[in-house]
Formats: sequence, structure tokens, C-alpha cells
Amino acid sequence: MKATMKRMTTTVLALGMMSGTLGAAELRFTIWTGNEAHLKMLNAYAESFKAKHPDVTVKYETIPPGDYTQKLTFQLAGGNPPDAGWLMEDAAPTFAAAGVLENLAPALKKADGYDFADFSKPSLGLWTAGDKVYGVPFSTSPFVIFYNKDLFDKAGLEDPNALAAKGEWNMKKFQEVAKKLKDTSGKWGFEFKDGQGYDTRVMHALMPPIRAAGGDVWAAKQCGFDKPEAVAAVKQLHDMVFKDKSIVPPGEQGDYFSGGAAMTINQISRASLMPKAGFNWGIAPLPTGAGGESPVIGQAGIVVFSAGKQKELAGEFVAHMTSKENVAIAAQFFPPARKSVLESDAFTNSNNLIPPKQMKVVADAISKGKVLPAHEKSPQILAAMKPRVDALWRANADVEASLKAVCTAIQPLL
Amino acid sequence: MADTLPMRDTARREDAPWLTLKMREAMEAWLFISPTLAGFLIFFGGPLIAVVWYSLTEWNLLTQQATFVGLDNYNDALFRNPDFWHVVRNSVIFAVGLVPLNMALALVLALALSGRFAGVVVFRTVFFAPVVTSAVAWAIVWKFLLQGEAGFINQILALVGIDGPNWLREPNWAMAAVIVTRVIKMVGLNMILYIAALQAIPRDYGAAARLEGASGWQIFRWIVWPLLGPTTLVIMVITTIGSFKVFDHIYQMTGGGPENGTLVLAFYIYQQGFQFFDVGYASALAMIMFVIVMVLTIFQLALRRRDT
Repeated sequence: MKATMKRMTTTVLALGMMSGTLGAAELRFTIWTGNEAHLKMLNAYAESFKAKHPDVTVKYETIPPGDYTQKLTFQLAGGNPPDAGWLMEDAAPTFAAAGVLENLAPALKKADGYDFADFSKPSLGLWTAGDKVYGVPFSTSPFVIFYNKDLFDKAGLEDPNALAAKGEWNMKKFQEVAKKLKDTSGKWGFEFKDGQGYDTRVMHALMPPIRAAGGDVWAAKQCGFDKPEAVAAVKQLHDMVFKDKSIVPPGEQGDYFSGGAAMTINQISRASLMPKAGFNWGIAPLPTGAGGESPVIGQAGIVVFSAGKQKELAGEFVAHMTSKENVAIAAQFFPPARKSVLESDAFTNSNNLIPPKQMKVVADAISKGKVLPAHEKSPQILAAMKPRVDALWRANADVEASLKAVCTAIQPLL
Repeated sequence: MADTLPMRDTARREDAPWLTLKMREAMEAWLFISPTLAGFLIFFGGPLIAVVWYSLTEWNLLTQQATFVGLDNYNDALFRNPDFWHVVRNSVIFAVGLVPLNMALALVLALALSGRFAGVVVFRTVFFAPVVTSAVAWAIVWKFLLQGEAGFINQILALVGIDGPNWLREPNWAMAAVIVTRVIKMVGLNMILYIAALQAIPRDYGAAARLEGASGWQIFRWIVWPLLGPTTLVIMVITTIGSFKVFDHIYQMTGGGPENGTLVLAFYIYQQGFQFFDVGYASALAMIMFVIVMVLTIFQLALRRRDT
């Protein structure tokens, strides 16, 4: 017993010395992806970090995206905080307000040749407050329309890119095309993101058309769902679901990636599913509306947790990961927020599944787009919205009244 | 082994002559149950007490700030939060729908399958299989079957000229659908309990009654049903408790929707604690649920005592 105690004490002491005096340390980094190519790239960052810190290793810990924020919270609450990690946009305000994110501004300032001004202003909205920086955007991925070229050809329709080139790719045309596709092919014209537009992806379903119409779901603490632009946009969607029957309706499944729907909305990371899809496809910008072009962006950033024990080192690693050079490497998977990378040919040529011309669509959307709405109380807002939005998605629903009910429910939370 | 035992016995008696046989036996018993008891206290008793304490605080998991607020959480839930009563109502509807349906079906199946005939084991297995099926797989399959127009159930209904509803998207139908699919999943367990009870009834009772001219119904009503009483009570208690605790099924099939139509208490607690990170409030709700279930159980036990 005594011997064991002694041995344990020695081990603990040795470990303490290793991390303290000798400079050898392990950074724990949480991330949602377990994809081999992603991890290979991330491990390469850890390897190149050794140039400056030969004794530091980085351990990436995958937490599946569905539970990501929840499990991360438990790690923080349970006294087992990771040093740094990936953070989704909807969690950013909640985490920042709770004071669990470290201000990265000093670390970024210290990094050689970092050039923080290179990050596009709109992309930083969620991550900065005054001159404090709570995270660095790492994936700034706009929503685009994925379309099934074969079904467009069969219906004798011009594809969305051709229409966009002529300046005709607007919401009216979108509705028309979706209906024709449905009527000629029997497949659904359009599917919401991952088929979850009525459940977990409510925002992704409603947001793009509302912004295209010139509205917003909320702005400056004011609910926007019941404003005329939003009502008109949602009415159109409602018609498409229940009158035209061109959008996959609630309670049905119609998967774009297996050919069940002619169009869907998603981010370019989903292009990895396309080689297996077995049809010709392309990506196009979101249709425009009365509000002109209004791309919508989903975002994630890299943060350092205040509760971590190696904040300084973690901050240095974040600066390393988001240097010009490394952001350019990540661009193949995670579209950049650095203007210099965005405007380079390296970016448009980075994805071997998407032709450069269509990658331009992505680059354009990033520079013009607005990030999805986020809020300190995002989970509560979504939960309060949910039942009212459910009421909206019925064939005989009064769209305007339902949207008013949404605003009544969420206004106190905003 | 056999020779060493008496030796140890004598040795022990010399060691502790003040211990009576009774004390000795009690000590042994405590030693035997101590591993389970330790586990129970650490993983069940401890958290249970902790929850009582948490429920008196406002504790945000993310900020790690806990302030003592007394009975505020209870006050808010019971008197200020309209959602709470809606959620309790849903839980009651779920239980009232599920318990009788489950028990009646279990009894009918048990009566049909308690005899000995060719293939009876196959039938019992078929009805019991859903109990051991993964809840997630079960929910996913049913979600497919219950789709609006393309769903299997509605296509069958269409064959006989019925225009089926969009099951999981309309509040009342969604509640009915989660109840029925839950019953089909869990009925096998109660069926087995009933079969065991039926097989424990001596056959002579039925035979004697038949000699006296009793009909099948009379035998069931006056002999079988009363003898099943204790089993019925146990089944009723565990099924009621289970129905108030239902979570996974709701989480997978409807997520509490549509329009909060299937938002039951356990799911609501999950939302407060694990989505909004409001642990204090979630703990208070859990305590309220604990009291509701306990009162129901005591009530059922009292009912039984009055009957006998």
C-alpha cells in the first residue's frame, strides 16, 4: 500500500515536472469531425507547430456534431476542460456571454505576420466584441443550391447556373422550376437541408428566402418573422409545399443525395457525398428576391477555453492554425474568412469535386453573405419557435397568424 | 472444503465470543449485499440527495454559477410556467392512453399464449422480440411507416379507402401514434408476467368450477382474474411509472412536437437541463415528477389493499 502510494506520488510529480519545467505538454482540442482527410490535415498543423514548440503534442478529440455543444458543455462543467476547440455559430454567443471563452486578441497580436485585418469584417461579427476576440472563424461556408442536372435536362429546363448567368435565378423562377421538375419527373422539386427543414433545421429552411425577400428573422433584438417581407417569403414556401407540392412536405422523406429530389440547399462539405450519388450535378447560388442577392453563411470558429490550464499555448496554436498559410490548406474543406485566400486561385482550385467556375459561386457568397442568426439564448429561442413553426407547416395554416405567434413567443427572449 | 469449515467456525467463536448467532448472521448478510449497496449509494442515493439540493438553486451549467433560490424553481414551475401544466397534461394523457391499452393487450395475449400448443413458443418470441429491440431502431422504422402519404400504414389504409392522417405531424394523431407504437414495443414484457401468473394458477380450480357448471367467462371473472390480482397490481405500478418516465421513444419519434403535442415531462426535464443548461430548474422538475410517480404508486397500493 505504502509502496503504491509512493509510486503514485512520484508519477504525479514526474508528470507535473514534464508539463511545467520541461515544456512538454499536450493540448486537447475538441472537434466535431472524425473524417480521415480532415484529421490528417489537422495533425499536419500539430506537426508544423512543433517547429516552435518541439515538445508540444496536440490531441484531437472527436465529438459527433449532434451532441457537440452539449458534450463540450459537460466537459467544461465537469472540470475537464479541453484547451481549445471548434465552436458552432449558434453556440458562440451563449459561450461568450457565459465567460468561458478566452480573449485571443493578445495571442493573435503576438503571432508573426498574422495580419488579423485580412479576415473579412462580416465574418468576425459573431466572434468579436470591441477589441476582444473570442474565436477565429475557421469555416465560413455559404449555403448553395445543389441541383440534379439530369432531372433538369429531362424536364428540358435551363439549370440554375445558366439562369443565374442571365440574371433570372430568382425566387419566382425557383418556384416555377421546382414545380416543373416535380410534374415532369415525379421526384420532389426541392428538399430542405438534410431533409430536416421542419425539425432541427428550421432556421436553415426559413432564413434564406426571408433574407432574399429583404427581411430578417430578427435584427437589433426585434423579431422579423411577422414583417411583410418575411410573411410573403414564407407564404411562397408554404404554397410550394402544399399547393404546388414541389417541396418535400413535413413527415415525408425525399433525399436529394439519392436522387429523390431535384434540388436541395446545403454547404460544400456535402459535395463529398456526390461521387456516390450517380447523377450529374452542380452547385449554384441561392435564388435572389426582392432584397437582391443575400447569401446565407454557416460558420464555425476556433476558440480557447478560459478554464483550460494552458491558455497561452492554446492561443498560440489557434494563431498557428489560422495563419494565412494554414487557412489556405484548410480551404479545400472549410471555406476561408481570410480575404487574401478567398481571392486567390488556390481557393477556386482547391476542391477537386467542384469545378473552379462553381467554386467562384462559393467565394462570391462568402464575401457578400451574412452569417446565420445566432443569439445568447439560441436554444431557448429555437425551442420556443418550434411549436409555432409546427403550426405553420399545416396545409390549412394561416401563415401570417403563425408567424405572429412565432414573434410573440420569441420576442421576450430576444 | 468440508473439513476446514468447522475449524474456522470454532476459531471465529473464540475471536469474538460476544457476537450472538443472530448478529453474526446479520453481519454476513450486510457483507454480502455491501457491493450492491455501495453502488446504490454512490450512483443512486447520492445523486438523489444532490438533486434535492440542486433544485433549490439557480445553477447554469455553462457559467458554473449557482445561487441558492429556495423554493423559487418550484414556485415558477407550479404557478408561473404555463408550459409546465401543458407538459404534465401530456404525460397524463400518455399514461392514461398507454397503461390500460398495454395491460389489456398483455392479458389477452397471455390468455391466448399461456396454454401448450404447437408453435406457442414462436408466438411468444414474436411478441416479446420488440422489448429487446433497440429503441432507436424501433423509432426510425416506425417513422418511416408513419410518413404522410408515402408511409406504409397510410398506403394500406388507402387500399380500403381511408385517407390516413399525417401521423407524426398532427398533435393528436402524433400522441396516439407514440402511445400505440410504445405499447407494441413494451407489451411483451407484461405478457410474460401474465403468462407466468396464469401458469401458477392450479388447474384444479378451473376443473372444479367447470364441474359446477361455470362458463368460461365466469371462470375468468371469478377465479382467474382475482388470482391475477397481485400480478395485475405489479404490472400496473411498473407500467405507470414507466409511462411517466418515457423519454427515448419521444426523443426519437417526435422530439416533443408537433406543436408540443407530445412534449412529456421527462423530455421537458431533458430540455431544461441539457439544452438550456438550467440544471436547478430541471432538478426541481425532476423532484416534482418523483412526487407525482410516488403518489400514484401509493394510491395504487392503497387501492389494492382496500380490495383484499
